[in-house]
Amino acid sequence: MQDETILEIKDLNICFEMREGTVNAVNGVNFSVKPGEVLGIVGESGSGKSLSARSIMNLLPRNATVTNGSVKFRKTDGEVIDILAEKRESRKMRELRGGHVGMIFQEPMTALSPVHSIGKQIMTTLSLHTDLSKKAQVERAADLLAMVQMPKPMEMLKKYPHQLSGGMRQRAMIAMALSCNPSLLLADEPTTALDVTTEAQILDLIMSLQDELNMAVIFITHNFGVVAEIADRVSVMYLGNAVETAAVDDIFYNPKHPYTRALLQSIPRLDGQKRHRLQTIEGMVPDPFNLPTGCVFHTRCAEKMAGKCTSQIPELTHFENDQMARCHLHQA
Amino acid sequence: MTTIHIPDDALISVEKLQMHFPIKKGFLGREQGAVKAVDDVSFYIRKGETLGIVGESGSGKSTTARALLRAYEPTGGSIRFKDPDGAWHDLTHKSEAEMRKLRQHMQMIFQDPYASLNPRMTLLQLVSEPLVNIGVTNKSELEDRVADLLSKVGLRPENMSRYPHAFSGGQRQRIGIARALALNPTFIAADESVSALDVSIAAQTINLLQDLQEQMGLTYLFITHDLSMVEHISDRIGVMYAGRLVEVADTASFFEQPLHPYSEALLAAIPIPDPKRARAKKRGLVKGEVADPANLPAGCAFASRCPHASELCHMSNPELTETAGGRFVRCHHSADLKLQGANYDQ
Repeated sequence: MQDETILEIKDLNICFEMREGTVNAVNGVNFSVKPGEVLGIVGESGSGKSLSARSIMNLLPRNATVTNGSVKFRKTDGEVIDILAEKRESRKMRELRGGHVGMIFQEPMTALSPVHSIGKQIMTTLSLHTDLSKKAQVERAADLLAMVQMPKPMEMLKKYPHQLSGGMRQRAMIAMALSCNPSLLLADEPTTALDVTTEAQILDLIMSLQDELNMAVIFITHNFGVVAEIADRVSVMYLGNAVETAAVDDIFYNPKHPYTRALLQSIPRLDGQKRHRLQTIEGMVPDPFNLPTGCVFHTRCAEKMAGKCTSQIPELTHFENDQMARCHLHQA
Repeated sequence: MTTIHIPDDALISVEKLQMHFPIKKGFLGREQGAVKAVDDVSFYIRKGETLGIVGESGSGKSTTARALLRAYEPTGGSIRFKDPDGAWHDLTHKSEAEMRKLRQHMQMIFQDPYASLNPRMTLLQLVSEPLVNIGVTNKSELEDRVADLLSKVGLRPENMSRYPHAFSGGQRQRIGIARALALNPTFIAADESVSALDVSIAAQTINLLQDLQEQMGLTYLFITHDLSMVEHISDRIGVMYAGRLVEVADTASFFEQPLHPYSEALLAAIPIPDPKRARAKKRGLVKGEVADPANLPAGCAFASRCPHASELCHMSNPELTETAGGRFVRCHHSADLKLQGANYDQ
């Protein structure tokens, strides 16, 4: 693990044994995050983006098996934790979750407890990870709510999730995730369920907090617009593979993988040019029980090379500026 | 009171449509007010065009579409529909039997392709159901029609004996489209019909809808919260806020310069899939949240969030009025405002 990285995922493979066969949900995913960096992970449903993120918390579903790879996290004091080697419930993991790594989810109504007030929920996190007195916890909780721009924070502490709107709940969840000054924030589609104007408010909030607290963020989304607005680096996933990882500008202006290019062309853009048709990607995502041989994208790829792409799994090719893609086109 | 001018080539005209749902409370279920889901909505759709309706959740877009097909009983206003023979029908005064006949010409496509198809029916049963309903019973005729419809939407006719669970989300949406097309309708209301699909599949579905429109001369009411999608597919756009239509305009002029401050706020909030433009963008975000349709303010529903609001806006609710170029706007100050569109090249 390099000195300046805070999180490193290496060759991660996760599979599910099911009655119908084995699903290889994550196949050799690699990425790393530096302190204060925003990594965006984009992909369609079933591409393994949420699963990769949950492995960072060591919170994979019980029937998932990690067949290969490692996830390492560097705490602020320099200690490196090998997350997948730890037991799910170990002291170190419990200290990590909520303490060093905060997480926010897509649906705040299911992620927050419906029977505890917002204040109670934030204070529980604080009492688990800090030794603040009861009074100091209340103050800290109110400060956190003020930080996420909730009006009247002292009154908000007593509210229950059902009394808040979607945007307000998302703010409460962010306050809770940030309560112990995490050095990494995992955001799994946190704005997908929100309306556009609320989404813009929450994105702005996450950006300004990220700047202020200088934390690293892993932001999972399927929306390229959101990625363009907030990410420093982007990883594009397809069928459990991180097919391309690069700085945000390289992804948008100089994509190397045919899947990235095709995805970017298939989103409607607000550019005032009336195009007759949207570009599409041929076919559909293959059945996860029968992954294609060779490159997983070859069944839909416009630039596939017969013989090579259908049989050999492409290696990761490295380009300038830390850009990486998994495609035969770039291999000599 | 202004009434909108209906052009001759209109297929549907809606006037002062109102859909209030009563709020009942207590043991006796006394009415304690109403959720004004749709209030004073007027618009028309020309034959062969696509009207896109955008708005945030709870703004009344789906309720409008459902009321249009009389899936709900509107509590006020009128809906008029021109049948293929050119006769106008006032849908608000039709009996269920009369509506049944008219619904051959008006169909709907839903958002969730997992919830809108009966899992115990085969494709043949699903797609032929509307035909059976109007009295087609000959088995081979039904099979021919279904095969024809399936190939039209890009599905293989051999699969007609299979059940919906065997198909992916995008394919299920195509089954829904085939079902809607079964009776050769002239009008289709598509309610968020690509929102649940992945990017690449959504693009395929949008292309299919546009191809069908060209082949069959369909008229669409396209409901979505995705402004980039609506720009791509619509000829004209209507913006709804808290149950009211606040602006209607043709797509190009709407994106160039909106007339209602809420439209401006919506345009400013769209995430742009272009990092350089996203960084350069200085956006004025609106504060606060959408007004509650159960408890609307006396004046303009957007006034509390609007940067241009005056005392007048808090006092009285503006009417939807026609301005130059066939555009409609519901704002006291629209004539004095110079609002920002989606500035394309900066």
